[in-house]
Amino acid sequence: MKTPLTALALVLTATAAFAEYPEKPVEIVVGYSAGGGTDVMARTVAQFLEQELSDGASVVVRNMPGAGGQIGFTEVSEAAPDGYTLGTFNLPAALALTKDRAADYDVDSFTYLANFVEDPNTITVAATSRFQTLAELLDAAEADPGAITLGLSSLGGNDHFAANMMQDASGAEFTLVPFKGASNARTAIMGGHVAAGTMTLGQTSNFPDELRVLAVLANERSPFRPDVPTAKELGYDVQMSSLRGIVAPAGLDEATTDQLRAALSAVNENPDFQAMMAEQGNPIAFMVGDDFAETASNQDDIAARIWAETPWK
Amino acid sequence: MYSDLLHALPDVFAWTNFAAVVIGVIAGIVVGAMPGLSATMAISVLVPFTFGLEPLVALGLMAGIYNGAMYGGAIPAVLLRIPGTPAAVATTFDGYPMAQKGEGGFALQVAVVSSSIGGIASAFALMLLAPPLSKVTLLFGPSEVFWVAVFGLASIIFLLGGNPIKGLISACFGVFVSVIGSDPIYGNDRFTFGQLEMLDGINIVILLVGLYALPPVIDLLETPLKTDGVNSSKLGTEPIWKALPRMNYWKTWLRGSFLGIWIGILPGAGGSMAAFMSYNEARRTSKHPETWGEGEPEGVAAAEVANNADTASALIPALTLGIPGTAVAAVMLGGLLVHGLQPGPMLFRDNPDIVFGFMWQFLFGAILLVLLGGSLATNSFARLLNLPRPLLGSVIIVLMLIGVYSIHGRMFDVYLMLGFGAIGWVMDRLKFPLPPVVLGLILGGFAEENLRLALRIGRGDPLVLFQNTTSLILVALTVAVVVGPTLKKRFIDSRKKA
Repeated sequence: MKTPLTALALVLTATAAFAEYPEKPVEIVVGYSAGGGTDVMARTVAQFLEQELSDGASVVVRNMPGAGGQIGFTEVSEAAPDGYTLGTFNLPAALALTKDRAADYDVDSFTYLANFVEDPNTITVAATSRFQTLAELLDAAEADPGAITLGLSSLGGNDHFAANMMQDASGAEFTLVPFKGASNARTAIMGGHVAAGTMTLGQTSNFPDELRVLAVLANERSPFRPDVPTAKELGYDVQMSSLRGIVAPAGLDEATTDQLRAALSAVNENPDFQAMMAEQGNPIAFMVGDDFAETASNQDDIAARIWAETPWK
Repeated sequence: MYSDLLHALPDVFAWTNFAAVVIGVIAGIVVGAMPGLSATMAISVLVPFTFGLEPLVALGLMAGIYNGAMYGGAIPAVLLRIPGTPAAVATTFDGYPMAQKGEGGFALQVAVVSSSIGGIASAFALMLLAPPLSKVTLLFGPSEVFWVAVFGLASIIFLLGGNPIKGLISACFGVFVSVIGSDPIYGNDRFTFGQLEMLDGINIVILLVGLYALPPVIDLLETPLKTDGVNSSKLGTEPIWKALPRMNYWKTWLRGSFLGIWIGILPGAGGSMAAFMSYNEARRTSKHPETWGEGEPEGVAAAEVANNADTASALIPALTLGIPGTAVAAVMLGGLLVHGLQPGPMLFRDNPDIVFGFMWQFLFGAILLVLLGGSLATNSFARLLNLPRPLLGSVIIVLMLIGVYSIHGRMFDVYLMLGFGAIGWVMDRLKFPLPPVVLGLILGGFAEENLRLALRIGRGDPLVLFQNTTSLILVALTVAVVVGPTLKKRFIDSRKKA
C-alpha cells in the first residue's frame, strides 16, 4: 500500500519540479490583519513579485491574524515547501515568541528568502521633556533606579529587547510600561504619562514637533534623521530594530529558492518599488539569502539570552 | 487649516469619489442591518481591495459604510430586538416595543434622522476641532482611562433596568469573558485551554451575535405558525417629511451628539458606551421616565444620535495620534495605511486634500443617510417581517454563521458564538439583562489593562490613581452614579413624609 503512494508522490514531485514555476498562484501568508505595516509591505512586494516571476504569475496575500502573528508563522512553517506558500516574517517578534510560549516552529523551520524592511529602535521623550540628551535620561534612571518610566509596546518584542539591552549597557534601571501597541506608548509619552519610551524611528517620524528622539539604536545614523546620534556614538553599543522579510517553509528545493531570491532581489532593485516603500515610510534594508538567515539566527540568540536572564512572564 | 478644508472640497465632488460615498452608505446600511455582519467586518473585508483604488474612493467607501452601518444596526434592533451592531444594543430598549405597538416605521424614521444628526455633528467636530480635541485625548493616561471604564460600567449596572444585582452578575460575566486570552501585560494565557484561537481574547462580535441574535431566533422558531404580518402592515410608512414634525428631540439630540463626540475621542470605549450614556441621560432628565423601555421614541433618538456621533470623532485620536477610538476606526486606520497615510500631525500637512476630503465624505455620508436610509429601511427591510417565521429564522441563522466565520475565517469562532447563544438564551429566560455583558466585555478589558499600566507607572502605589484632576472628576462621577439614585429616592421619601 505504501510503495505505490510513495511512487506516486515521487512522480508528482518530479512533475512539479520539471514544470515551469510558478504554474499556480503563489500565496504570501501574513500573520496580521489587512492594513497593518506588515500587510502593506506584503501587498507591495506581491504586486512587484508578480512581474518578476513570469508573465501571468499571480501572487496573492492571505491574512491569518491572531496570537501576535503566531498563527500565520505556524501556517507557513507547516506548509508544503513547494514555493507556493510564502510568508512574511517579523524579527525579533516571530522568534521571540518561541521562547515565552509553546510554538510549533523555531528558527530552523524556514527557508530565509529576503528581508526588506529594517526600522531601528530609538530612545524617545516628549518634546516638552526636561531630558535633552540620552546622558541626562540615563543619569536620572541611574540615580533613582526605577523612577524613570519607559513606555513601550508589548513585552517580548524589539521595544522590550531594546529597553533591556539599553539597561544592560548603561547600568540604568527603568520601570518598563508595556502598552498595547506603539501608538498607545507614543501617546502616553506625548501626554506625559510616562517619562520616556522606546519605539522604532518610523513610529516617531510623523510627530517631529511632539517628540524628541534622543538616540537611535543602530550602527549608523539613519538617512531619515541624520541629526539624531546613534547610541553607539554616545558610548552604548546597543543595536535593536524591527525587521520584516519574506520566508518560505524549510526544505524548499534549491532551484525554487534561487529563483525566488533572484526575483525578490529584482523587486528590490525596481525604482517604482523603492518609491512605494519610501512613501509608506518603510526604511529598506535589503538582505537576501544567507545574510537574512544569519540575522535571524542572531536575533534568535538575543531573544534566548534575554529570556534566560530576565524572563518576562 | 480651514483653507485646506475648502481646498479639499472640489475633489470630493469628483463623481467617482462621490459615488463611493453613496455606495458605501447603502452597503453600510445593508451590512449593519444584517445580524452578524458589522461595520468592522465590512471594512476589514474591504481594506485589501482598496489597495488598487484611488485614496478618496477607498476612504469614501469606508466613511459611507461606517455611517450607514451605525444606522443599519438599528433596523433589526427595532424590528426583531436583535442589534445589528454592538452600538445598536440601546436602540432595542424602546425601538422593539415601538415595533410591537405598530410604530416600527416611525421608530426607524426617528432612528435615521437621529443617526444623521449625530453623524453630521460628529463630522463637524472632526473637521473643525480635531487638533484641540486631540489635546484632550492626551490628558487621558492609563489611570484616567481606567476611571472612564469604571464609570461606564457603574452607569450601566446601576442606571439600567430595575435589578442592580442581576445587572452586576451580568456585568461580571462580561468582565470574565474579557479576561479570556493572553493578559495585557505579560502575555500569560488565561482560560484559553491551549487554543491559539483564544489567545487574542473573545471578539465582541462573536459574543454579541451569540448573546443577542440566537435567543430571538429560537423564539421565532418556537412559534413557527404565527407571522408578524399584522405588525408590519401597521409599520406606519408615512413619508419622512410628514413624520419630521413629530420629532421634537432637540435637547436629546444635542446631548447625545455631545456625549457621542466626547466618548469617541476617548480611547477604546466606542459607540455602545456612547449610546448607553445618552439613553441614560435622556431618560433621567425626561418628564415622563416611566414610559421609557415601553416604546418611547425619544429613547430611540437618544441611542441612535449618540452611536453615530462617535463615528467621525473616533477618528480624531486615530488620525492625529494613531490610537483609534473604536474598533471600526482601528480598521479604517489600516485602510489609511494601505494608501501610505501615516497618522500624526504630519498627515494633515503632507496630505491635506485627502485627509480633509475624507472628513467631507464623512459629512456627506451622514447627510445621505436621511435620503437613502429612510426609504431603504421602511420599503425593504421592514418587509422582512412578512416572511414566514421559519424562513426568517433560518435566514438570520445563516447570516450569523457567515458573519462570525468571516471575522477570522475559522469555525472555532462559530462554535464559540453558539456557546454564547446558549448562555444568552438561558439569561434571557431568567431575565438577566444582556447589555451589561456587552459593556463588561468592552470595558472590563480596558479597566484591567489600564489599571495595571497605571500601577506599573506608580510602581505599585495605588495612590497614582487619584493623582490628578481628570481622575478625581471621574471618581466623583462614578460615586455619583452609584449612590445618586439611592440618595434621590431617600430625599423624595423624606419629603413625602414631611
